[in-house]
Amino acid sequence: MGSAHSVPAEMRELADRTGFTSEQIEHLHRRFKQLSRDQLTIRKENFDSIPDLEFNPIRGKIVHAFFDKRNLRQESDGLADEINFEDFLTIMSYFRPIEMNMDEEQLDRFRKEKLKFLFHMYDSDHDGKITLQEYRNVTYGPSCPVTTEFPAPALTRCLGPDQVYEGITFDDFLKMWQGIDIETKMHVRFLNMETIAHCY
Amino acid sequence: MQPPAASPGPAAPAGAELLRWQWREVQAPCLVAAWILVASLAKIVFHLSRKVTSIVPESCLLILLGLGLGGIVLAVAKKAEYQLEPNMFFLFLLPPIVLDSGYFMPSRLFFDNIGAILTYAVVGTLWNSFTTGTALWGLHRAGLMDPGIEAGLMDFLLFGSLISAVDPVAVLAVFEEVHVNETLFIIVFGESLLNDAVTVVLYKVFNSFVELGPAHIHATDYMKGVASFFLVSLGGTAVGLLFAFLLALITRFTKRVRIIEPLFVFLLAYIAYLAAEMVSLSSILAVTFCGICCKKYVEANISQKSRTTVKYTMKTLASSSETIIFMFLGISAVDTSKWAWDTALVLGTLFFILLFRAVGVVLQTCVLNRFRLIPLDRIDQVVMSYGGLRGAVAFALVILLDRAKVKAKDYFVATTIVVVFFTVIVQGLTIKPLVTWLKVKRSDHHKPTLNEELHEHAFDHILAAVEDIVGHHGFNHYWRDKWEQFDKKYLSQLLMRKSAYRLRDEIWDVYYKLNIRDAISFVDQGGHVLSAAKLALPSMPSRTSMSESSVTNLLRESGSGACLDLQVIDTVRSRRDKEDAAMHHVLRGSLYKPRRRYKASYSRHFISPDKQERQDKEIFRQNMKRRLETFKSTKHNVCSSKSKARLKEKGRKKKNISLPSDTPNGKTHRHVPWQEAAPVLVMVSSEEEESDSSETEREDDEGIVFIARATDEVLQGKTTPGSLDVCPSPCIIPPSPTLAEKELPWKGDQADLAVYVSSETTKIVPVDMQKAWNQSISSLESIASPPGIESGPQHRRFACPVLEEQPQSASQAMPEQSSCFQFPSHVSKSGRSQSDSSPDGAEQQELQPLMATEEQGRMLPAAEPRWLMFNRASHL
Repeated sequence: MGSAHSVPAEMRELADRTGFTSEQIEHLHRRFKQLSRDQLTIRKENFDSIPDLEFNPIRGKIVHAFFDKRNLRQESDGLADEINFEDFLTIMSYFRPIEMNMDEEQLDRFRKEKLKFLFHMYDSDHDGKITLQEYRNVTYGPSCPVTTEFPAPALTRCLGPDQVYEGITFDDFLKMWQGIDIETKMHVRFLNMETIAHCY
Repeated sequence: MQPPAASPGPAAPAGAELLRWQWREVQAPCLVAAWILVASLAKIVFHLSRKVTSIVPESCLLILLGLGLGGIVLAVAKKAEYQLEPNMFFLFLLPPIVLDSGYFMPSRLFFDNIGAILTYAVVGTLWNSFTTGTALWGLHRAGLMDPGIEAGLMDFLLFGSLISAVDPVAVLAVFEEVHVNETLFIIVFGESLLNDAVTVVLYKVFNSFVELGPAHIHATDYMKGVASFFLVSLGGTAVGLLFAFLLALITRFTKRVRIIEPLFVFLLAYIAYLAAEMVSLSSILAVTFCGICCKKYVEANISQKSRTTVKYTMKTLASSSETIIFMFLGISAVDTSKWAWDTALVLGTLFFILLFRAVGVVLQTCVLNRFRLIPLDRIDQVVMSYGGLRGAVAFALVILLDRAKVKAKDYFVATTIVVVFFTVIVQGLTIKPLVTWLKVKRSDHHKPTLNEELHEHAFDHILAAVEDIVGHHGFNHYWRDKWEQFDKKYLSQLLMRKSAYRLRDEIWDVYYKLNIRDAISFVDQGGHVLSAAKLALPSMPSRTSMSESSVTNLLRESGSGACLDLQVIDTVRSRRDKEDAAMHHVLRGSLYKPRRRYKASYSRHFISPDKQERQDKEIFRQNMKRRLETFKSTKHNVCSSKSKARLKEKGRKKKNISLPSDTPNGKTHRHVPWQEAAPVLVMVSSEEEESDSSETEREDDEGIVFIARATDEVLQGKTTPGSLDVCPSPCIIPPSPTLAEKELPWKGDQADLAVYVSSETTKIVPVDMQKAWNQSISSLESIASPPGIESGPQHRRFACPVLEEQPQSASQAMPEQSSCFQFPSHVSKSGRSQSDSSPDGAEQQELQPLMATEEQGRMLPAAEPRWLMFNRASHL
């Protein structure tokens, strides 16, 4: 186990809020410091130092999501310049795997949170609607080669016949994802114990 | 026919023979064919009763059939003539099954679970072999077995190694019918495929140990055993990968010899199998990995037809191999001369394999669940333990034992047969009820939606990125991302044709296929009603509303006055005439007209595109156009500007664009300004246009000629005579003479289809759609604005003869109908759900896709109601 000498109360609060265990938080904190070069906050440029991220076609979107205030806390909008560790954890908590002992209601909320995050990632102009172009940007990356309309059917399947197509609202987005178990897909593994050596 | 006894060997010919009995020459293949025939016929019989096959797996039935047939043979010939020969099994029967399972392996799922699969395959099989072997040996030592069994520890370990491997054939046969969820299936099935290496190594090592005798085994021999495991498994995989690479590379260059494409797939896979077998590497691993790895590139390279051929041939071969294997298992069991029964051994083996499999699964799952994101729960473990079926591999291996070395061979054979029968029949029969009873999560058989498919990719990227940021890489996302980069950068470039690489847009494929199916189903239900109704309609208002003083109608009249053709329409024709005309259009619109005459030719090297396919495409084309008009009416103003830009872009991309000169139409002189819509001939060559001109020769299944007309909002896409197609002429003001061409068969015969769409033009279709929409606004307008519902602004707009106004007017005529992308869902819904409705209702329903809005739908359910409507309107 890691050295649990940081302020336990603060740690517990973070753990409660984000659902991570204290070990995971510690591990993430170490990573955070590594990324921020021992600063208290991370700026966008810090993400450039991750070599593997360089080739990711939608890297911009993902990094953007970290600084999107909508993802950080309720009732706020716009872009943050820098995020602190708490924000970092908040973003990471969207990628937690489901736990076995979750009940229906929790699961539903969990799912909604994940979808909300995704939705914000799509909705780059913060107007609460995903337009076709925004949609394409994520599914294909910004250099979407095919200038066509074909994802349209996928989007409009969920629209009622008399709905005006202006963009997908969050409700539509929820409908789109109905029947797809996002909670079993959108997660990464967070370390429980310090088992890996850091190479960068 | 002469009796077979007439030719006892090569007797001296007694003069010239009229016929000769040549049974000897054809004996072997004839018997093989006969057995396959029997097995296939048996399958038909089994499936006559749905009830039986839903309860009893086919493999059980086949084994029982084999038992029966073997019994008959035994009774007739007094000796068992046929049995499953290990050589035949390993060289001919097994490869097709393994290739099939490798090639159609859901690779993503497989690699997602590769950790678990490998653990179960390697650790699990080792565990099973050693524990079973040792426990049996203990049983023997305890004196519970017949003392006649001369077997030491090594013999029992050898037996344990062959009996403990889960068999891919049996697992596949049973699990395919059970439909458990994919994860469970892939773990059990993947294990059964990958454990081959372990089985082979253990079997060989123990076999050589037995031959050496326990006294002569040195420590180095054990080391050699371990080393040979790695050599066999990794070597087998390497051989598979090598041949997958070769295969992909070869199919890249088969463009001119399409007909033998499937052959390459089978040949190379088989050679991979034989090559691995030759150097005693794991041949199953070789073929499995060959299949998994080559699929992506091969599928992209070979033609659609070859793909289908490969698929069907593979399935046929695998299925018949499986049938034969199970049947011969039954037949072989009858041969009692090889049996030596020992109750303790048989019961002990059965008990131990079940016990140790269960224990092994639970232990391994305990460990694995610490690493798995989605843990395997209790129920999964039960199914996994219970699904460990043994099969023909074990049987073939036990037959291969050398009786001189392994003294207890007969006992082992009997035990193996019993174990195989028990697992296949008893476990196979009970696993289905068990799965139902335990409420194992079944696989849902929905195809991934378009949305899901689109997101799969985005998701991979997102997760990989987050892992990068977290700084810890789970196996899956990180390596998948890395692999995909590598694949994109090097492998795909090397192994795929340029065209395939460029056009490897599966979504487009899906989209295109959906549309084709849609169009066909649409026509199947009588989509022609649509054309008839539509064609009939525009003329009617002009007749009924003569008395009306609406501006539109005035305009119409003035237009018609200038046109002789319209007069012809407007003169009262007999009902009969109209019916004839309608029927003519129905036929013209819906029937397939071959545009080119295909020479009836026979070629061994090429298959001419078959008629059905061309017909499908043409139907698709025609219906697409018609329905897009409808569709367009709801959103054309959104798209018109885009379409122009896009068309230009397309034009830029494609090299050979020619602008054929505008052909003036004798009949449409009045519309000369409209005809400035210059037809743009877009020739899209299917393969690399850049490389050489011969490349542009059309492939049999991918030819493209595409003619699009330059679109301009101002010019309402007046069709030129050469390219006039079935969609109604888009004139608005005045009702064009082409109305007459439509209405009257004898006027519109020169019409021809101008847009050629083939499978690879899918990307161009939308351009075409846009154009069609643009062209058709006007015709819709004439439908959408009958005198009854006209309002002030529209009058004004119609009164204004400036053509530029028209797109807007059409859009404003139905402002609340702008749910733009309604078309696919709407139409497909009505298309499919109503496919079985009565022909009566069909007519009404057919019109729904046409009428994009409820309002219009109400207005124009059919020709008759419309009549009433207008009459009422005129009386007001």
